[in-house]
Amino acid sequence: MIKTENLHKKFGKLEVLKGIDLNIHPGEVVVLVGVSGSGKSTLLRCLNFLEKAQEGNIYIDGRKIDRKKDNLPKVREEVGMVFQHFNLFPHKTVLENIIEAPMIVKKMDKSKAEQLARQLLEKVGLSDKADVYPNKLSGGQKQRVAIARALAMEPKALLFDEPTSALDPELVGEVLQVMQDLANEGMTMVVVTHEMKFAREVASRIIMLDEGRIIENADPDTFFNHSSNERTRQFLEMVNLK
Amino acid sequence: MPETLVTIYEVFMRTYEGFLKAALVTLKITAIALVIGIVLGILFALMRISKSKILSTIANIYISVIRGTPLIVQIMFLYYGITSIIVLSNFWAGAIALGVHNGAYIAEIFRGAIQGVDRGQREASLALGMNKNQTMRRIIFPQALRIAIPPLGNQFIITLKDSSLVYVIGVTELFGLANREAASSFLPFETFMVVGLYYLVLVLIFTGLLRLYENKLNVDKT
Repeated sequence: MIKTENLHKKFGKLEVLKGIDLNIHPGEVVVLVGVSGSGKSTLLRCLNFLEKAQEGNIYIDGRKIDRKKDNLPKVREEVGMVFQHFNLFPHKTVLENIIEAPMIVKKMDKSKAEQLARQLLEKVGLSDKADVYPNKLSGGQKQRVAIARALAMEPKALLFDEPTSALDPELVGEVLQVMQDLANEGMTMVVVTHEMKFAREVASRIIMLDEGRIIENADPDTFFNHSSNERTRQFLEMVNLK
Repeated sequence: MPETLVTIYEVFMRTYEGFLKAALVTLKITAIALVIGIVLGILFALMRISKSKILSTIANIYISVIRGTPLIVQIMFLYYGITSIIVLSNFWAGAIALGVHNGAYIAEIFRGAIQGVDRGQREASLALGMNKNQTMRRIIFPQALRIAIPPLGNQFIITLKDSSLVYVIGVTELFGLANREAASSFLPFETFMVVGLYYLVLVLIFTGLLRLYENKLNVDKT
């Protein structure tokens, strides 16, 4: 579904990704973990071409994407993204946020887009919020709208960039629940998160990044209970201390 | 003092018909200059932030030249420049000069406002599959416009007052008329007092309208 080969990314002189080989299969939920600065968010953003990797290849659905020749908006239609800070459009209502891309990008007609949006709002449990502006929502509600907005493009995969990190603790659960439901429906997901409980229960695989390299790629049981990697064990101890 | 007040009143009563007409000319010039200024402003703001070196350099030169020379020089320059090529009334020459002048300042206002929109908005829009044009038009610009409204309002007020300078090319707007009245009546103090009041009233009306509009925007969405 999504594959990278020898991906390198530098910000000026700082090399953030040092050759990432990644392969994400349809229906998988891959959780990316690592300390801050390990490159996990950058990797995720490269998968959506929001960051430009200087070296290496990215394949979507088996097709190599060429930044210059390929139509990036077209590629991004297939791979949705959910951001840490939601990034809802503040000048549009919840419903307008969701129908925007289907109408503008896919030229879907308004009634059809609205129908789809209302279904998605029901799915994330926010049917009653269709006509309010984002600033009237709690963080958890905003993120659920953002997920609905991404789903409205009917992507083949969804990327989550620390979707619960900006939330008050009591609001984290409602967002994780929506994500878990999506995973159960078979959505291909790549999730950068510090929620180890989510990783343990929902992930099909956990990938640990350290200083721009993948140092662990294992199923949750192996990752949490049987890892032989020193850095992984250190990381788990750190997370447990919190 | 009471005598002066009486004289001011007399000047006002004697001149108000002429001044109201002149006020209309002032408003027309201001409105035309603003329309030209907004169009040029948006265009040059986009050029300035564009990745094309050529476009951004052209925009930079335009903004530097306009901001670096006095408006009165620009009016003279444009008036004698344009009217030597095409036939143009001094009214239109003045309005265009004022518009071109405004364009540079409005371009800077829009540039700041566009860059003031949270970066995440652009990313979210791109991530949804929208292209750069759609992102600018539907997501960034509407938000930038709201950021730009207070400084734009300020710029509109400056334009209204700056329009007085087109009197140098013989346009009979408020200040041009006041100048003539002052000379012919030998009452410069009273006449300029009266014309000052016209400007003040126009600015106050405009400020009030602007405030109503801002409140409306705020009630709607924040």
